[in-house]
Amino acid sequence: MVQQPIHGRRRRVSGRAQAVVYVLLALGALIMLFPLIDMVLMSFKSMSEMGTSPVGLPQSWLFSNYSTAWSQGNLGQYLVNSAIVSACSVVFVLLLSSLTAYVLARFEFPGNAFIYLLFLAGLALPIQLIAVPLFIIMKNLSLLNTLISVILVYTASGMSFSVFLLVNFFRTIPVDLEEAASIEGANSLSIYWLIMLPLLRPALTTVGLFNFVSSWNALFFPLIFLNDNSRMTVTVGVLSFVGQYSTQWNLLLPALVIITLPTVLVCIVASRQFIRGLTAGALRM
Amino acid sequence: MTDQTLANVAPDGPAPFVPTRRRRRFRWRRWSFLLLLIPGLAIYLAFIVYPFGTSFAYSFYNWNGVGPLSNFVGLGNFRYILNSPDFSVFFYRAILHNLYFFGISLVLTTMVGMFVAYLLTNIPERPARVFQVMYFVPYVIPPVVIGFLTSVFLEPNFGVVSTVLQNLGLTSWDLPWLGSESLALPTIALISAWASIGFSMLIFLAAMVGLPADLLEAARIDGASRVNLFTHIVFPLVRPTFITLMTLTFISSFGTFDLVYVLEGTQAGPNYATDVTGTLFYRTAFGGFGATAQNLGLAAALAVVGFFIVIVVSAVFVWLQKHYSVQY
Repeated sequence: MVQQPIHGRRRRVSGRAQAVVYVLLALGALIMLFPLIDMVLMSFKSMSEMGTSPVGLPQSWLFSNYSTAWSQGNLGQYLVNSAIVSACSVVFVLLLSSLTAYVLARFEFPGNAFIYLLFLAGLALPIQLIAVPLFIIMKNLSLLNTLISVILVYTASGMSFSVFLLVNFFRTIPVDLEEAASIEGANSLSIYWLIMLPLLRPALTTVGLFNFVSSWNALFFPLIFLNDNSRMTVTVGVLSFVGQYSTQWNLLLPALVIITLPTVLVCIVASRQFIRGLTAGALRM
Repeated sequence: MTDQTLANVAPDGPAPFVPTRRRRRFRWRRWSFLLLLIPGLAIYLAFIVYPFGTSFAYSFYNWNGVGPLSNFVGLGNFRYILNSPDFSVFFYRAILHNLYFFGISLVLTTMVGMFVAYLLTNIPERPARVFQVMYFVPYVIPPVVIGFLTSVFLEPNFGVVSTVLQNLGLTSWDLPWLGSESLALPTIALISAWASIGFSMLIFLAAMVGLPADLLEAARIDGASRVNLFTHIVFPLVRPTFITLMTLTFISSFGTFDLVYVLEGTQAGPNYATDVTGTLFYRTAFGGFGATAQNLGLAAALAVVGFFIVIVVSAVFVWLQKHYSVQY
């Protein structure tokens, strides 16, 4: 949509130059995807086949690798925990950051610019550097070894980027609708819920996907907060899995594929929305 | 009601000036919107701003996290980090390794991302979108998975790379990529740069798609070659984006942890050859430093030094970005 002009305009360039561009892009794509494709192919091979021919299609597809990895690796539990953490963080980030961005983008009040800056400053903070106080806070709240601790941290840390993106997006939405609703007597909460949220959908999709990926992939805080095997998310879970089966690649690789699938699937299915949201103005930095 | 008539008279007209209208409402109504700000701000203050502040407080204590905050040492922790035979070796080496990660990512992630984005603007939209997804996929793979996959590929005896090289007869290339002091850091930095090419590609694409069409068209009519078009028109116009990405890359290279942890453990071996601030911080705060017990005060001081570096460098980059931004 947004990209129409630039792509369309250049379609007239010579065929040979086009071919060179395609070849370069395809080579690059191979470098990007080869390790991942090979991971999937290897996950169906036996240990001995991995040792002799690690590249290429498996001689026979050993689906049993997956069932063994699943039953021995406690993967179901880890997946459920990761799903809870990601889903809760995403919902909280969406709700809280859209409310915050709405107020910051639409209302004049003393301190507005300061609060916005406070959220922006979080973009420059490598979050793990505040791990010590967060650890103490969680200990004092008796939240260590609970999923809530991780959810709280990822909700809070996700807000910087989300507020930034949403405030920018709000600025592209005309104020007429809210004006009308406000004149009709709607209060700010119902304006937010009934008018702003539907208009924000494209940006919210981007924010949601971004936070889903980052909370699903996160290692550091689950690593220091979650010790109990039954509370672990996939990333720490697979670490403890490796502790037991480090050399058994026929179990490790299926486990890696399984925990990667959710983010990759979401990325592919929603790629259009995701990329459009990222490229449509909000990230013109 | 006057409000009603106003709305009926000009439903699509210019928006009435907001403050004037709101001044007529009751006070509680006028400020009620602040209630909507509270939940988000509270979470952010409690779990980002407050811990950030307490890091400074902790950094003045020699405290192991047990019992109340005690044993005030003033600037002792900072002196220990910056200037002591025991610890500053670790600190400076870790910072150097972070900068190494930054350098590799700057060259690889940023340059390659920009190049790929430029190539993508030269082909029709539909195939461009397929390529975008392909390049972006590694960015959403959990770093833990990339770490273990790397260990499967680079295992010295029966890893993928080793086996392939031996089958091809290239045994001289069959090196201990992760096990040697000289190769481990470049290898991990390269892999980490590879994983984020897709992100910088997207950011550059966003910038390039927004470039003024008539300017590019004019240059083309004047006979500018593709290379010239890129170096003289496209690059100067996306330079602010380049600097933004440089800032983000700097911040994320100071956050490097996952790959090093998975591939080389908390000790960031071989012989600390891959030790970064993240792993040093982890060992200091949560143990793994051999005889040294965990020291939360020292770790907090380390974090404060880290904030300082990141904030100063980011500020310089932001200034540079303002300096180079172009109006069009």
